[in-house]
Amino acid sequence: MTEADIRVLVVDDDRAIRRFLRTALGAHGYVVFEAENGQQALRDVVAHRPDVIILDLGLPDLEGVDVTRRLREWSQVPIIILSVREYEEDKIAALDAGADDYLTKPFGVGELMARLRVALRHAISQVDDAAQFVLGDLRVDLARRVVEVRGLEVQLTPTEYSLLSMLIKHAGKVLTHRQLLHEVWGPGYQGEKHLLRVNISNLRSKLEVEPARPQYILTEPGVGYRLRSNV
Amino acid sequence: MYVISGAAGSPPALPRFAPEAGRAWRQYLYGIGLVALVSLIGQPIRMVIDPTNLVMLYLLVVLVAAIRWGRGPSVFTAVLSVLAFDFFMVPPQLTFAVSDAQYILTFLGLLAVGLVISTLAVRAREQAEAARRRETHTAALYDLSRDLATAVSQDMVMQAAIRHNRELFDCETAVFLPEGDRFTLHARSAGFPLDQESNAVATWVFQHGQVAGLGTNTLAAAEARYLPLKTAQGVIGVVGIKPRLARKMFLSPDHERLLEALLSQIALATEAVRLADKAHQAQLLRETEKLQTALLNSISHNLRTPLASITGALSTLRDDDQMLDTDARWELLNTAWEESERLNRLVGNLLSMTRLEARAMKPALEPCDVEDLVGVTLAQLANLLRPRQLVMDVPAALPPVSVDLVLAAQALVNLVENAVKYSPADTPVDIRAYVDQGQVVIEVSDRGVGIPQAELDHIFDKFYRVQRMSDMSGTGLGLSISKGIVELHGGRIWALNRPGGGMTVAIALPIAEPSPGEKEMQR
Repeated sequence: MTEADIRVLVVDDDRAIRRFLRTALGAHGYVVFEAENGQQALRDVVAHRPDVIILDLGLPDLEGVDVTRRLREWSQVPIIILSVREYEEDKIAALDAGADDYLTKPFGVGELMARLRVALRHAISQVDDAAQFVLGDLRVDLARRVVEVRGLEVQLTPTEYSLLSMLIKHAGKVLTHRQLLHEVWGPGYQGEKHLLRVNISNLRSKLEVEPARPQYILTEPGVGYRLRSNV
Repeated sequence: MYVISGAAGSPPALPRFAPEAGRAWRQYLYGIGLVALVSLIGQPIRMVIDPTNLVMLYLLVVLVAAIRWGRGPSVFTAVLSVLAFDFFMVPPQLTFAVSDAQYILTFLGLLAVGLVISTLAVRAREQAEAARRRETHTAALYDLSRDLATAVSQDMVMQAAIRHNRELFDCETAVFLPEGDRFTLHARSAGFPLDQESNAVATWVFQHGQVAGLGTNTLAAAEARYLPLKTAQGVIGVVGIKPRLARKMFLSPDHERLLEALLSQIALATEAVRLADKAHQAQLLRETEKLQTALLNSISHNLRTPLASITGALSTLRDDDQMLDTDARWELLNTAWEESERLNRLVGNLLSMTRLEARAMKPALEPCDVEDLVGVTLAQLANLLRPRQLVMDVPAALPPVSVDLVLAAQALVNLVENAVKYSPADTPVDIRAYVDQGQVVIEVSDRGVGIPQAELDHIFDKFYRVQRMSDMSGTGLGLSISKGIVELHGGRIWALNRPGGGMTVAIALPIAEPSPGEKEMQR
């Protein structure tokens, strides 16, 4: 699949946003469909079979979270949600409901394209079984479970490693605290955020040059963490 | 002449209500005693001089009785004196028979002079007493007005009224005032009954402007008497008074007058306080309006400035695209981009300000690594910071702080943005974190011109901007929002000038208590 074939459904009640997205996405060769509200979006998903959905959380008729939930009942199409900064809870709810990623308004088109590419890549190959993950000076040999920074091997604890591999599996995508705790520690650990905080801190101190200005593992304040997919 | 001794403590206590009737008969007894005494003393003298001269002694007794005990006893003493004189002094002794007709004249003279003396003496006594009462009342009123003059609030006026009523009349007091569209008990002394009835009577008094309750013709069954507080504006409230001891209310006309004077003073003071309150409210409102105007001006100016840059850049690109080379185009695009980021931060700050002021901000506190807090902050300012040198000293070993990461990052973003904005582009910005007095301190320092010492405390005030920097953009909201957020976390914020130029703004945030699970992990 090339970009030219990719169909994007933009769901936003604001005409200016739709216009900007139509233009920007069109210029990148995406085929753009537009919906003004949640009901129309649900119908258009059936009618146009988009490859990815850009969904605003502040729709006039339905909560974005509900749209996400209803879509996830039958579809795995990647969903990128748009929100404003002040409503972290809504973002987290939508992400936990199955949305793939989010963008905070206002956002640049660069960010948008990066999110789209990541979401599409994960959609195409659900399990990224590449043996090697390379990001800047970080190299992870997933088959041999070896982690190197600038060519030097780094010793990780089993928890740190499974946290890192979870991030690598979803590289470029935001993962909520809840998702990470559930995947790495297992069910029943959703409330133990300190486990996550301490292990992220340890990972950074082992992988990052300057942990206070991380280049690999980014914090999404109030939401979760994101491993960059490229530097 | 009487000197009002108002300044010396409480006024002399007034006789409680009316003088007690039980004491009167005793004064008559004293009169009898005095007459008997004079008659006894007169016996030996009578042998030596003419009995007629002894009349003087009896007149003395009448005078004493008149001065000491008033009209009744003095008239009684005068009559008794005539009888005693006749009985003991005039021959034949020990009978009321009179041997010499001239004594009849003496009797009449004694009676007449006795009565005149008693009238005059009683009048003098009454005047003296009236003057004393006036003094006492004046002192009482003076005392009250002094208390009222220093009262700055409704409550202080009420407390003064209650205290003086108790001291002067031995009464429990309650004050009822209209509040909005309701009429409610405003203050009362402990012994005043608190029930439906009192409120009902007070309401009646308030509506009719007339006295009612105990000792009046209206609603006399009430436990207390209710009097309207009147000013030129009409009835402004109601005072209830209830005698402390008996379920009776004796008030002499003097007391009634004093009570009236007291009430009018209380009414005036209440009115004065109310007017002062109103004036204060109006003043506050004006200040608020001034602040709002300043806010609107500031918002309008600061929203439009970046908008002007964006519009300017975009219109140039749209209209004059042919004339622009790549560099110029790039420059314009970057301007528009940076300005819209600034606009976004500004809107965020305005929103936070509103939420802070409405106390609608509830920080979701969680342990957070200082490194992470700093990292999130710097990530949000990545474009602004790209050309700047950043000197960091944030040790990894710092204990986690207890913060809402989103809010705390916003507080720190404002600090860093300020440091970048108010210092030359070729100077570094320093970020340093350390533990001090059980809190984590994060300092942001620049090499700008610093702040005049006197103004250091004001930079966190809303809309404050150092005068000579007024050409720089900014709402003057950033630091005050940081302050609001930091204080919401139970932290502190302060600013100081740096040795060698520039200034430091520091925030201190509380260290997070390790959770039970975490303690386990550390073991």
